[in-house]
Amino acid sequence: MQQFFPLITNQINRRSQQEFFRKSTLPHCELEVLGKGFQRMIKEIRTKRIDIADWFILAQKADELQIKQHETKELISLQFLKERWQQAGVIPYPHQINSATRVIHKLQGQAILADEVGLGKTIEAGIILKEYILRGLVQKVLILTPASLLWQWYHELYEKFGIVAGIQRTKWDWESAQILIASLDTAKKEPHSSIIRKRNYDMLIIDEAHKLKNNNTLSFKFVNSLQKKYCLMLTATPIQNNLKELYNLIGLIKPGQLGGFSTFKSRFMKDKRTPKNPNELKELLSQVMIRNRREEGTVRFTKRIVHPVVVSLTPKEQDIYEQVTNFIKESSQRSGVTNILPLITLQREVCSSFLATALTLEKMMANMNEKDLSVAAKILQELAETKQNSKCDALEKLIKDLDDKVIIFTEYKASQKYIRYRLEKLGFSTLAFDGSLSRGKKNWIRCMFQKEGQILVSTESGGEGLNFQFCNQVINFDLPWNPMRLEQRIGRVHRLGQTRDVHIYNLVTKDTIEEHIMYLLHQKINMFESIIGELDTILLNLKLGKTFESEIMKIFLKHEQDVLREKLDQFGEEILEEQEKIKNANWNFF
Amino acid sequence: MEFLLIEEVPTILKQVIFNFFKLCDLTPREIRAGVWQVQINEELMKELDGWRAQARLLQFTFDQKLAESYGADLICIGSYRLNSILEVIQKQGIFTHLHISHNVFHEPNIRKKVLNELGSENRVYVVNESQMHGQYLQLKILARTISLEKKESIHTLNVNLSSGEVLKFAISPHLIEPGKGRVTDIRKRKCSFKKAFSNAVDYLIKTPQFADPGWTEKAWETFEQEKSKLRSFFNETDEDDIYSLKVKELKNKYAPKLQIDIMRSAVLFTPLFFYKLILIKPSGQEQSRNVLYDPISNAYELN
Repeated sequence: MQQFFPLITNQINRRSQQEFFRKSTLPHCELEVLGKGFQRMIKEIRTKRIDIADWFILAQKADELQIKQHETKELISLQFLKERWQQAGVIPYPHQINSATRVIHKLQGQAILADEVGLGKTIEAGIILKEYILRGLVQKVLILTPASLLWQWYHELYEKFGIVAGIQRTKWDWESAQILIASLDTAKKEPHSSIIRKRNYDMLIIDEAHKLKNNNTLSFKFVNSLQKKYCLMLTATPIQNNLKELYNLIGLIKPGQLGGFSTFKSRFMKDKRTPKNPNELKELLSQVMIRNRREEGTVRFTKRIVHPVVVSLTPKEQDIYEQVTNFIKESSQRSGVTNILPLITLQREVCSSFLATALTLEKMMANMNEKDLSVAAKILQELAETKQNSKCDALEKLIKDLDDKVIIFTEYKASQKYIRYRLEKLGFSTLAFDGSLSRGKKNWIRCMFQKEGQILVSTESGGEGLNFQFCNQVINFDLPWNPMRLEQRIGRVHRLGQTRDVHIYNLVTKDTIEEHIMYLLHQKINMFESIIGELDTILLNLKLGKTFESEIMKIFLKHEQDVLREKLDQFGEEILEEQEKIKNANWNFF
Repeated sequence: MEFLLIEEVPTILKQVIFNFFKLCDLTPREIRAGVWQVQINEELMKELDGWRAQARLLQFTFDQKLAESYGADLICIGSYRLNSILEVIQKQGIFTHLHISHNVFHEPNIRKKVLNELGSENRVYVVNESQMHGQYLQLKILARTISLEKKESIHTLNVNLSSGEVLKFAISPHLIEPGKGRVTDIRKRKCSFKKAFSNAVDYLIKTPQFADPGWTEKAWETFEQEKSKLRSFFNETDEDDIYSLKVKELKNKYAPKLQIDIMRSAVLFTPLFFYKLILIKPSGQEQSRNVLYDPISNAYELN
């Protein structure tokens, strides 16, 4: 094989990347003569790197083909990514391809991608980004996301689009990486924000863009001051409470599209939640925003089938449960509800496994007063003596009946270990997933599970950001109290690409708090069978984002069993009312 | 402007791929009708697929259906495999030597032409003759017109490195041979590379394709429309710094721009014919003359 010439482009100094000289020729037209090619030519002449003519002639043909590629109206990224997508199991949906085509050819690369939850906004953004990169229009890219989604973005871009991005860690990363994923919260702070403002990005992508709805926030002002050529903003909820939120978001993408705010107010706002001239507004919005809906039938999701598995505790287990519950209630009465978190954990663990309960109780004992200590020691003693676990027995029975792949979710690592111990004793081989594993190990385990494994025992944090569409059975060994976390669990398997109905088995211990939680999540708000698209908005509006568990615990501690159901009913009603309110808001104009 | 017609693409594409393998000393074997197989070593595979790639038996085809049936890599516009190969090809150097042999011109004809040029009323004798080489800079220039859309085109321009003039017509590619050949007695350049490039740019922007102001006016109109929208938005705020930033952003995006850069270049050694002459005027006066004839640009240098 003939010797390749080294890549010289990298050695060209910075000055040559800038324009070589600039003149004005036609009216309004700027001529930019770039020095990159010239400098490279001079360098090759000086160093006597004379290319072999056959390669040179071939390269000319290659250049022509490359330009032909750039000229085509079709999305070349679809062809480019075909094999990668076959390997990764990605199936692009028509609405995603249409959105990407529209953004590139009609919206000039500036758009709010406002598809409803689960329709694949990230895939759309990835296609657009890849297309621009392949066409040579985009090199410098900044992706701003919430901190929790940094790795998910990294992983998606690499796995699905072959785009190697960097994750921002230090202030030097802003200048060194061409494609950078960063947390919006970090980026908006100094010294980072000043560095970023000086840079000129070819493309800016903002995930969870509804966080920029308020134009008085630092986040909004920061994003507004960034220099970019193309911009994509991803959000499922471009309006949450007020039409001004939408106006602000549009102002970030294309200021002036809806006029000044007073014009917008007089032309398009009846009140803060009701639009005027919806058709005209819709027309203007369609020039900057794309929204695909589930009900449009672009995507058919398979069904979620729920199988509650009610487990009766043995008298001994029931006795321990009562002891732990009483202990929690008494402790909370003494300490007030200020330090409720360990008690919530304990209450949830006692419904999961005694091993998990014992470990937490042991930790708590370090800070207990003498009275509590003696009670806790007695409970610990009983926990240690109890060999039976009815929930695990039920799980074993269930697993024996399921012959396909299954993911078992638990909240606790101790329970995870115990489940694996019990199942492996029965001869099942299991794989484990938890938050402490590196991304590489997680991928490897995911691959093992896809190819050979039957059972994967995972904690919630372990499964974050990974998709298991090849599996359609989920067992919730214990129930998370927060519906968002429950949705995340189910969302690992019930998402785009799932071809079979998803079976969800919920192990619920009878006569425990778990039974009430199950009632609230399943019967009351029907969490399992329907996807509540606006769940995050509902929780945000009810100010329940992080305190959902605490609210339930407060209800549980304050009320006796007989009124508990009634109180949970009220709580559920509030959620449903808020959901209805959001549904009925006149947001259907976009 | 040279540009591929759509129907030419598959042919050029196949030529590029097979020439690429040929230059890498590899011979693809057609294992089924339309499906080729070639053993690629680790070094080349890494160039193609990145540092993790291993040596492999690459199967490729130009047909979508065959690619699906046999799991072969599809090579077509936009495909990953085509792009990975194009990338390796384009990584090579951008500068080379080319030459045109003296043999492509019939010397007696040239001599006749030169002598005729000195006037039929004079008598002219050739005392001495020799063959030299002149230098042209052949530039493959990428021109991008950027407004709402980006349009790219490649232009080949030849600049005479003695006079700095741009050749007004294309040199037929079949006359050009690779490398320097047996080029000796090269005439020194009088024009720098930078000047040659600058002349080429001046020439290019005056060609009808770029001199027509239609596209720039249309783009400027859009820019002005967007700017007025922007003004209406910022009229109600006092964020002047953000306004100027947004105008700059808008200008970058919508204002018409012609971007020019060199993609590849070559020094083209061309034949020059030198004659030492004795010219006898009708008055009987004798003069000694040197004529240098450049058959490429049909130019004489007389002294």
